[in-house]
Amino acid sequence: MTAATEPSTVDGASTGPGVRISDLTVAYRTPAGELPAVSGINLELAPGSITGLVGESGSGKSTMALAMLNAVQQPGRITGGVIEIDGLGDVLSLSPKQIRAARGGSIGYVFQAAQNSLNPLKTVGKQLLDLGRSHGVEDKRALVRQAKELLSRMGLSGERVLDSYQHELSGGMRQRVGIMLALVLNAHVLVLDEPTTALDMISQANILSIIKDVHAEHGLTTLVVTHDIGVVAEVADRVAVMYGGRLVEQGPTVDVLRAPSHPYTRGLITAIPRLTGDPDVAQPLPGRPPTLGTIPRQGCVFRERCAVYAAGAREDCETVDPPAYDIGAERLVACHVVEEER
Amino acid sequence: MLKFLRRLAGHVVRGLVMIWIVTTFTFVLVRLMPGDPVQTQYETLLSKGMSPDQAKAQVAVTYGFVPHGSFWSQYGHYLWQLLHFDLGRSVRAQGVSVTTEVLSTAKWTIGLVLAGTLLSFLFGVVLGVVAAMRRNSHLGNGLSIVGSLLHGVPQYVMALILVTFLTVKFKLFSTGPVDGLLEPGFNGPYIASIVAHAVLPAVAFALSSFGGYLLSMKSSVVSVLGDDFILASELRGIRPSIIFRYVARNAILPLFTVLALSLGFMVGGAVFIENAFNYPGMGAMLVASIGQRDYSEMSGAFLLITMAVIIANICADMLYTVIDPRVRRGEGA
Ligand SMILES: Nc1ncnc2c1ncn2[C@@H]1O[C@H](COP(=O)(O)OP(=O)(O)O)[C@@H](O)[C@H]1O
Ligand SMILES: [Mg+2]
Repeated sequence: MTAATEPSTVDGASTGPGVRISDLTVAYRTPAGELPAVSGINLELAPGSITGLVGESGSGKSTMALAMLNAVQQPGRITGGVIEIDGLGDVLSLSPKQIRAARGGSIGYVFQAAQNSLNPLKTVGKQLLDLGRSHGVEDKRALVRQAKELLSRMGLSGERVLDSYQHELSGGMRQRVGIMLALVLNAHVLVLDEPTTALDMISQANILSIIKDVHAEHGLTTLVVTHDIGVVAEVADRVAVMYGGRLVEQGPTVDVLRAPSHPYTRGLITAIPRLTGDPDVAQPLPGRPPTLGTIPRQGCVFRERCAVYAAGAREDCETVDPPAYDIGAERLVACHVVEEER
Repeated sequence: MLKFLRRLAGHVVRGLVMIWIVTTFTFVLVRLMPGDPVQTQYETLLSKGMSPDQAKAQVAVTYGFVPHGSFWSQYGHYLWQLLHFDLGRSVRAQGVSVTTEVLSTAKWTIGLVLAGTLLSFLFGVVLGVVAAMRRNSHLGNGLSIVGSLLHGVPQYVMALILVTFLTVKFKLFSTGPVDGLLEPGFNGPYIASIVAHAVLPAVAFALSSFGGYLLSMKSSVVSVLGDDFILASELRGIRPSIIFRYVARNAILPLFTVLALSLGFMVGGAVFIENAFNYPGMGAMLVASIGQRDYSEMSGAFLLITMAVIIANICADMLYTVIDPRVRRGEGA
């Protein structure tokens, strides 16, 4: 039982721990062999920052998020890399007991399908107690108090919610319960997978402002996984853009959105009318994202949909995996052309 | 609570309608039977030297309606008697009321069915969980295969196999009739006698039906294991023993319907097993009454089997309102 799992009052002054992901590779076993869904990812979550991980569906975001808790599901496995969290060490080399304590205790995870992330046969309160028991919490009253505080901070009546079953809660309420369960043991790293998907517009805006608030109040380091670049624009300090299992671009959100560098990021942004401001300018990205089997094994994973590549085929795009080039101002871009034209 | 009662009332009304339909059906059937059993008995009695009036009275007592009345007066008379739990007299066992006869054999059958079904349910569920947890190993595969094989063996074949091996070949159990002199009730010798006679039939029941529970439980567990909330619980660091309980409770839920329904159907299905073991239940009675064209006893037995199915159905549904909060509170997903 570590200090981090003990519910205590929030010390607003602290910032979350730093998280460094190096060379992370995750592969799924398929009939066609073991294929990587996440390849050689390097990403640093600065202490106290909110990072948005964005990309189309199938780009490997959830796989990477699960890897942060060493919870990649069968038939997948982490084939390489290090995930280092301050105060916890390398997540991937923790013992089964330690990793279970870390899940929920140090790292809070809000599940992609938070809509169905509760046991339908038990009240939220009972499941809260199960959570406490699983983490060796002795002071149940303090736990319940902490839970109610969190819930009321998010605009819910703690008393009522703890006494409810999942089917009695709306989508937005379930999402908030998910956040409460992720944070009630005082985790300081928060991972949210598609926190706004399946919610209506008003609940979406609500959840995003809640995420920003609890992030600041609890001193967290937060990773928000989303396919919606609008969500990133709303909450994230930094953005990492994922395509075909790689990070193709990362940097401060404001800069990346104002002046996207990678052709894929540019495509993503022009595809969204509410970011470009003019519906007539909005242009959907042509083509479809690759699946595990169709990700190119060599060269740039994006070249088949790349406007720059289409305008004039270059050999290194086909043969050389573009590394993350440092283009200054804390920005990294994995594109040969961008690096060359700088 | 109000909801619960309203639901229960709805079931009871539907059950009564079902019973009415079944009894009407038997009533019509008996009258349409080739060689009209009512008329036949009437004529038999006449030929035995009874006066027409006496014979008529006797037939009325047996079938619950007079042989010569109009259809509607007969039907009315029949329903009226039914309302008083009067199912007529047994032809086979002279003068005994069918209600008494059916009830006295039913308790044997119900005991057997309860024991056999609970046994098979317990085995099936436990082994089903093991088969699901170890589904990629030899143990899991083996269990599933055994389950499917046993599931495929009809009850009477299982019964015959057991009879052949355990009573005829190895004489471990007797197949003699239960001592008729014992006072039925809650006393030692009687219960001992039932247990001794019920063991084999119950085992036959359990062996031939636990395979079904095993397979259902296995697929139910596998499906719950794939549910989002299980992964979500793992990601919260919930202890494996607690997650196991989450899985078990969610997975067993759909099996209760199967359990309750099969309890009902088993009463009807007991016929073969009871016969194979010379067990004095309703199956034996039904076979005997069919052999002797004892229609009033047959309709009594059918009525009870129908009621068993209906009651089991109601129990299954009411059970849900108790154990599933989605049905108990809220919109009933
Ligand atoms: N259990 C699995 N088995 C095989 N392939 C999988 C599995 N889960 C995900 N994948 C594949 O891995 C890739 C990345 O999936 P995922 O991480 O869910 O992407 P995202 O969250 O960005 O939509 C996809 O191509 C998907 O088909
Ligand atoms: Mg996903």
